Amino acid sequence: MIEFNNIQLNFNGKKIIHNLSFTIAHGDKVVLLGKSGSGKSSLLSLLLGFIVPGQGEIIFDGLPVDKKSVWAIRKKIAYVDQAVSMGEGSVADFINFITQLNAVSAQRLNKGKIGELLNYFELGDDITEKEIKELSGGERQRVAIVIAIALGRNIFLLDEVTSSLDMHLKKKVADYFLAREEWTCLVISHDAEWLDSPAVKVFDVEEGRWRL
Amino acid sequence: METVDLSLFSLGLTFLLLVVPVLLSLIYRFALIGPLFYAVTRMSIQLILVGIFLKYLFLWNNTLVNLLWLTIMVVVAVFSAIRGSSIKISKVAIPAFASFFIANVGAILYINSVVIRLDNIFDAKYLIVLGGMLLGNSLRGNVVGITTFYKKIRSDSKKYLYVLSLGASHYEALLPYLRESVQLALKPTLASMATMGIVALPGMMTGVILGGASPEVAIKYQIMIMVAIVVSTITSVVLTILMTLRVCFNRYGVLRQDVFVDSKTSGRA
Repeated sequence: MIEFNNIQLNFNGKKIIHNLSFTIAHGDKVVLLGKSGSGKSSLLSLLLGFIVPGQGEIIFDGLPVDKKSVWAIRKKIAYVDQAVSMGEGSVADFINFITQLNAVSAQRLNKGKIGELLNYFELGDDITEKEIKELSGGERQRVAIVIAIALGRNIFLLDEVTSSLDMHLKKKVADYFLAREEWTCLVISHDAEWLDSPAVKVFDVEEGRWRL
Repeated sequence: METVDLSLFSLGLTFLLLVVPVLLSLIYRFALIGPLFYAVTRMSIQLILVGIFLKYLFLWNNTLVNLLWLTIMVVVAVFSAIRGSSIKISKVAIPAFASFFIANVGAILYINSVVIRLDNIFDAKYLIVLGGMLLGNSLRGNVVGITTFYKKIRSDSKKYLYVLSLGASHYEALLPYLRESVQLALKPTLASMATMGIVALPGMMTGVILGGASPEVAIKYQIMIMVAIVVSTITSVVLTILMTLRVCFNRYGVLRQDVFVDSKTSGRA
């Protein structure tokens, strides 16, 4: 369970988030809605400890997200954002790099699963040999989605991950996540493929309440 | 063999050589005459003053004074190295000083006590001269090392945070940047070592030969100093980066923007 309790966040002296509270239960599929700059992505960054709130706290599985707990919490989360950066080199280089991370090797990243998922999300067999800088925005998003799934974690933070995909692929990605009951997904998207699903709960970040 | 001393008149004749760059600058409008004369004048004054200072330092040869002077040299090297990067000196001065001191003074004392086996390992002639050579190289290495390390993480922040989000430890996320920075910092030293004696005769070796020593002795000293340089450079670069991590990153592993000279206050509490 993830709880955001009375979160306040300021940026350049301006209040971005003001006393925001909501809870996400295990297995929930939550879409965060709000206009640009309303703090949707900041909520994901808060959960990952990339920024800290001016006020309030985030509770992850009963533990407050702080400088000690955040390192273990990150190991339970798979995060993908719209402009994910994998640096230089080939896709295979990046996959090899992350498989050497202790957190990933301990969880035994399933390389066979990566191959299956790359095919499922319609990336060619040769995609791993491609240079990252040569990937299109959509290819990069799907590679990051595949890596996130292959990590074998149950909590997903997905920030506009289908923004560069065509409608067919948007639906394929959304359906894949929405079909897994045990997965908890916190999604930022304006795509109908997510918002129109009956499995999804929508939280309005600007108004600080659930949309019915 | 005695070294031929230079009279002040002879030394003055050296400056006649500057006619060549001055003419080139005039012909091609390099706009280098001002900077050239400033650099030559400053260098000459600095060296004359240091020469006078070293003369008395060597005569006096007091351990405490020698160590104090070496400490001042380390402080100046640290400030020059940090000023060459984009980090605020006030934030990293202490860890950088500790790194430089450990790496360079450690190497010098090892050389003086184990290699040369001096009776007085704080002898000014060795402590100050070796200190100057090692610190000069450490300074150059650290300017490249620190700048590359922090600049790269800053420009690569999306990837860095993505790797952290995957569950990487702080060490794992930083390691690629540390490797790249140390390799770049060492590149000039390794390149000069590879061509030493063939392309150029190094300064120390030339000095020792001009000072009356045989080429055999000069070469032994040169090998010794090059090994010490490479060791102190790599050690100081690695130590400086590692010891500044605590002040340049928060406990969440995120790079603090307020450590940079050009930082804008994020306002995020």
